[in-house]
Amino acid sequence: MGWLSAVTHTEAPELRTVAAAEWREAVSEALATGRRFTSLHALDESGDATVRALFGGEQPLLLSCRSIDATVPSIIDLIPAATWDEREAHDLYGVRFDGHTPLRPLVHHSPTLDDWVVPVHGHNPYDVAVGPIHAGVIESGHFRFHLVGERILHLDLRLFYKHRGLEKASEGVGEREAIRFVGRACAADHVAHTLAYAQAIESAHGLWPSPGLSDTRTFLVELERIWNHLNDIAAICAGVGFAAGNMAFAALKERAQRLNDDLSGHRFLFDTIAVGESPFGLDRGGRDRARATLRELRADAATLWRALLFNASFQARLGDIGVVDKSLAVELGMVGPAARASGHAVDARSESPRLSYGTFAAAHPRERTGDVRARLEIRALELDDSFTILDELAARDLSGGPVHARAASSVVGTSIVEGARGASACIVELAGGNVRRLRLRTSSYANWPAVAPAVVGNLLPDFPLINKSFELCYACVDR
Amino acid sequence: MFVLLKKLQEIKAEAATGAPPRRTSLALRHVDAGSCNGCEHELQNVSNPYYDLARFGLSLVASPRHADVLLITGPVTTRMVEPLQRAYEAMPEPRLVAALGDCALGCNVLGLGSELVGSVERVLPVDIRIPGCPPTPAAIAAAIFR
Repeated sequence: MGWLSAVTHTEAPELRTVAAAEWREAVSEALATGRRFTSLHALDESGDATVRALFGGEQPLLLSCRSIDATVPSIIDLIPAATWDEREAHDLYGVRFDGHTPLRPLVHHSPTLDDWVVPVHGHNPYDVAVGPIHAGVIESGHFRFHLVGERILHLDLRLFYKHRGLEKASEGVGEREAIRFVGRACAADHVAHTLAYAQAIESAHGLWPSPGLSDTRTFLVELERIWNHLNDIAAICAGVGFAAGNMAFAALKERAQRLNDDLSGHRFLFDTIAVGESPFGLDRGGRDRARATLRELRADAATLWRALLFNASFQARLGDIGVVDKSLAVELGMVGPAARASGHAVDARSESPRLSYGTFAAAHPRERTGDVRARLEIRALELDDSFTILDELAARDLSGGPVHARAASSVVGTSIVEGARGASACIVELAGGNVRRLRLRTSSYANWPAVAPAVVGNLLPDFPLINKSFELCYACVDR
Repeated sequence: MFVLLKKLQEIKAEAATGAPPRRTSLALRHVDAGSCNGCEHELQNVSNPYYDLARFGLSLVASPRHADVLLITGPVTTRMVEPLQRAYEAMPEPRLVAALGDCALGCNVLGLGSELVGSVERVLPVDIRIPGCPPTPAAIAAAIFR
């Protein structure tokens, strides 16, 4: 966990502007140099809209292109992962993407079915429409299944029922205050998102965290992963109607959330991250309590995980269900445990010099089959890794710390943080101490497009299980 | 399986509240009208072994048709107004509406004015108010029992 090993990284991203005619070429070149597509967003710039695409790497690259007659060439043939980004930019900023046909609405809901549903033909196919209100305690979103018998031919998703305009609402707000808009995007990934925001602002200002601040923030984001992964294992048990497993892991989740409350005063660790400092800190007593409770949780989680492994009727429901193969995971730009379950070895923790991960290496399931079984197993493996990291960190000073100026200030900052569901990216553009444009592209946003192909060929009654195995959030997609 | 059940029995003994059983029941239907998912997590937690509200005759039901109480979370987005009203209309009378969480109560609402209605009260008559961001499972339970 050598914090000093990473100080060679540059802070702010390189902002490169190209003409619309050179947009595709510039994007191809970024990909050819081994950079990974991270996000695409639009912004209003006196008249015509501008489109920007972020590519990760040692120094992030933010490509920018001014639209002509509100039109920019589409890049979705080069980067299928940018499909939702382009649809969103079209809905919210009126940008047309030449070559993106049909350009279906994403954020805006058309009353005309043909506008957003893929036409399905064949022998007796029929539709089942579900939501936005679901049968359980679940967030709002609409699914339209196209079926033959009980087998799923195709699934159209319609999310954004919960669109609150959080990104736009943050515009003009002070850069320290706007963190609350990011924080309320989603409770389950609150720490990961606010941390991405804080680091993005700090990167724009050339600020670097002290070791104490890095350790404290890493501790928080791993605490968040613990309760989320326990929740997800419980949810997968619920997805097959296995009440005993569901309740046992729900009880572990409750204990993890009570620990959050004990340490931070909030069961979801709300408001523990701030720009340039840490509102959260633990004294010796707090660290000792955390360590003891986490060790008990770890032992109980291991015992209960073994009980799940030896439950044959539960295990029989998991294999070959909701398969995403590696090539599809790469093509769709999937992130997090779901990507790793398919063998797509991406984990932003191994590229997070601002946090205390050192030489962290991502976990992999025994068989990278990309099915429900692999997505369940990866959670259990990562849970154990997180307990190890937390145990090590609890031995250090977790009282926060300052940031130090290391580079010149810029008007753009970016950061990627690996939360429980995967990497979430935050891009900030600043003007006079205020937010000019905020883009939060969450892990759930990256993975939702994979749910539709994952369910094809499966039975409709297995959908809740497949959906739970991704356990994606609607709130932070809709924002 | 034996391990799981034994563990659950231990928790049950540990979490026993000593509250007497009730003769009445209440069926709750949840509608997410734009929350951050925090209220949903806490509402789910109300069913975990530490609270286990089914013991007191409370159940979360699948349809508004079966519900006595509509539990609503979130600042009511413009896209959720219609589904919310339709869920309410589908309920049998007498019926109650509970606004769950600070967003549903209209306090501290974050977001664009043009995308939000702002509080449940602007759409439906509210009978039960459960403040908190999000309210804890204990607070949810206490508010519903009152």
